[in-house]
Amino acid sequence: MNTIFDGKVRVLDISMGWAGPLVGQMFAEMGADVVKVEDTHHFDWWRGSLSMAPPETQPIERAAVFNTANRGKRGVTLDLASARGIEILKRLIEVSDILVENFSPGVMERLGLGYDAVRAINSRLIMISMPSFGSDGPECNARGYGNTVEAMAGVTGLTGYHDGNGQRYTLSNALGDPVGGLHGVFALMVALRERERTGRGQLIELAQVESLIPFVADAMLDYQFTERVPAARGNRHREHAPHGIYRCAGDDNWIALACESDDQWRRLASALGIERLADDARFTSESARKANEDALDAELSRAFSSISADDCVALLRDAGVLVAPVNPAAAVIADPQIQSREYFVAIDRAVVGTHLYPGAVARLPDTPLRADAPAPLLGEHNRQVFAETLGMSDDDIAELERTGVIGSSPRQHRVA
Amino acid sequence: MRYHALNDLRVVDLTHFIAGPYATKLLADMGADVVKVEPVWGEGGRKLGPRRAGIEDRGGLFAFLNLNKRGVTLNLKHERGRELFAGLLDGADLLIENFAPGTLAALGLAPDELIAKFPRLSVVSISNFGQDGPERDGKLNDLVLFARGGWTFPVGERDREPLTPPGSLAQYVSALYGAVAAMQALAARDLGLGHGQHIDVSILEATVATMIYETVTFQYSGIVRSRAGKRFAVGPFLIVTLKCKDGYAGLHCVTDKQFEELCDLMGRRELASDSRFNTALNRMLNNDALLEIVEAFFIGRERKWLYREGQRRAIPLVPIPSVAEVLEWEQTRARNYFETIDDPVIGKIRVPGTPLRLTSHRGEASRPAPRLGEHNREIFGGRLGLSDSAIETLKRAGTI
Repeated sequence: MNTIFDGKVRVLDISMGWAGPLVGQMFAEMGADVVKVEDTHHFDWWRGSLSMAPPETQPIERAAVFNTANRGKRGVTLDLASARGIEILKRLIEVSDILVENFSPGVMERLGLGYDAVRAINSRLIMISMPSFGSDGPECNARGYGNTVEAMAGVTGLTGYHDGNGQRYTLSNALGDPVGGLHGVFALMVALRERERTGRGQLIELAQVESLIPFVADAMLDYQFTERVPAARGNRHREHAPHGIYRCAGDDNWIALACESDDQWRRLASALGIERLADDARFTSESARKANEDALDAELSRAFSSISADDCVALLRDAGVLVAPVNPAAAVIADPQIQSREYFVAIDRAVVGTHLYPGAVARLPDTPLRADAPAPLLGEHNRQVFAETLGMSDDDIAELERTGVIGSSPRQHRVA
Repeated sequence: MRYHALNDLRVVDLTHFIAGPYATKLLADMGADVVKVEPVWGEGGRKLGPRRAGIEDRGGLFAFLNLNKRGVTLNLKHERGRELFAGLLDGADLLIENFAPGTLAALGLAPDELIAKFPRLSVVSISNFGQDGPERDGKLNDLVLFARGGWTFPVGERDREPLTPPGSLAQYVSALYGAVAAMQALAARDLGLGHGQHIDVSILEATVATMIYETVTFQYSGIVRSRAGKRFAVGPFLIVTLKCKDGYAGLHCVTDKQFEELCDLMGRRELASDSRFNTALNRMLNNDALLEIVEAFFIGRERKWLYREGQRRAIPLVPIPSVAEVLEWEQTRARNYFETIDDPVIGKIRVPGTPLRLTSHRGEASRPAPRLGEHNREIFGGRLGLSDSAIETLKRAGTI
């Protein structure tokens, strides 16, 4: 046994963006056969726009995010606006174990692929729908993506500077997407296990916003207990000080640090040679430091401004203070702990060459997850999937190409 | 909400605070039999988070994170405590823990030895930095974790300090990876491997995993995304948090179609063919000018109007609610998403429901989080067959 599934589970992935595709990607890590279906007109929007560069440079094959979230899949194209395209998709449904979709509610029904139709084709299939706000309810038709899901979950409302003018900020990573995807994988693993027992598939509904709301449960409970809407705290903490991000020497270099006790604070002051601050009555206790936090931050900013971030981190770590550099991307990849565990994996992908991609998070020693296969080019595996998996003849496939049902280059207009 | 999809699973839960307890909650919500094992003084997370006035020893977050679990106490430093613990592991499918690496081994409970003894058991370990590496034993908090994992650098105003994300978001992300890993270990065992494994989940790596914009995009483009203020980034799109008449609204305008509809919403259809904005590339090159136009429009409109009119045009445009507004949001009300729990200590609280709807099941109401040692008698007497007097003796000895 090399991987968990050894190709014995097939996932049909007709989703786009990140949340749905991440589900397929994580099943590919487990050794499932994941077939990603795109439309040559409406290809996955995470491939970006054709207008970004001349066609000969293949701009839609150069999207880092698409090439990350679709690793290890076989890619096929199908014109889902054509009867023939839908017919072939149904044949793929027949031979699959899992179907992943994240269209807006109602789209699958319009394609004739609502769950009842899908079940009639394959009663063992597990289908997961991942609408942003749910498949029912008064606002189920509202459009949402990672950032808008994040907003409606209450996360954005909590993200702002402690002394800001009320401005709210979106997170840097569209968190609603990967969180939706991870919940999707969990749900499918549960349903697969259940299928072993019952022999039946089922429909799973995952409203992405509902998967992110639990992450801010503490703020919701705070509101219920105090009847006050929790304020954005910025980099500060409810109880501890110092707790913030400070500029170091150089251009745009910062460290994040926190002291969670008087003892840590005294060690910080002595490491930096600013013992006078530790003895300053404004800063001797946690409550005093909290009350004088603006002055404290100003003093610390002065102290750090002439030291490099690396030196600050080394000094403070040795002193037992919670500290880290505020890492831009390159520094995350170069992080010594991340490197020593060989977290990133190098992948050579057509058109773009070799880069490092985030590896699988969970380490399963006896059935390792595999995150080292490239994302498919548009329609790259048409011939392989339609011939080997569906048993079509070369003539059938040539006919599909001629009529524009499949293809391997993006089209602006449908074949008449 | 509690389903029964996993009701053949037995989980021993040796977790504390957030990352571990949320992982086991996901399993408990799906029906797994989760027995939470705490030290006799209670896990560190019992007092965590917001507390109702006058109630010091049970935090609201504990009451949420430990729904649907049963709770026992055990002193694992007592030999008898370890024997009872082994009794709980006998027949269990999973042990989930989030102690510092090496803690279990120091107690004589090294995961590999446990698996050797109970071959069907898998152990999921969730830790700050993973089970090896030069900083294996390092400490973290949320602020420092987000900064190190790359989430913080691109957020905030260009001329100010980077802004950390709120709360403990990455702890929950790690919990999800842990819960998925638990299901993966079971699938591997039951599909042919035949035995369990010791699984290692690093919270730092889980944080980095959800940051693909930075790490991969940077390698492709060579460009470090800097803080772009109210914008997510300056790119061939407008993903932005905008001030409006009565608060803030979030706009996610990426495709040509969404941009055309945005122009229509603003009554400025001519902008769609304006040479500054007519393609994604031009919208990136003239992003500042575009932002200025959209900002001026939003400032005079109310959130509800923007939400309704934007969504009518299929633009992902939303009001930015406070957590209080999320609790009252019609959509969550209509879907009965929040669940009211009558906690035996805290009283009534409304908590997020399970995000998964399995159509094969009807969910039932959640059971409140256990009081300290609440199920000692039920588990030690029922499952392990101890007599009442034996339990009494253990209690007096401080073992339970």
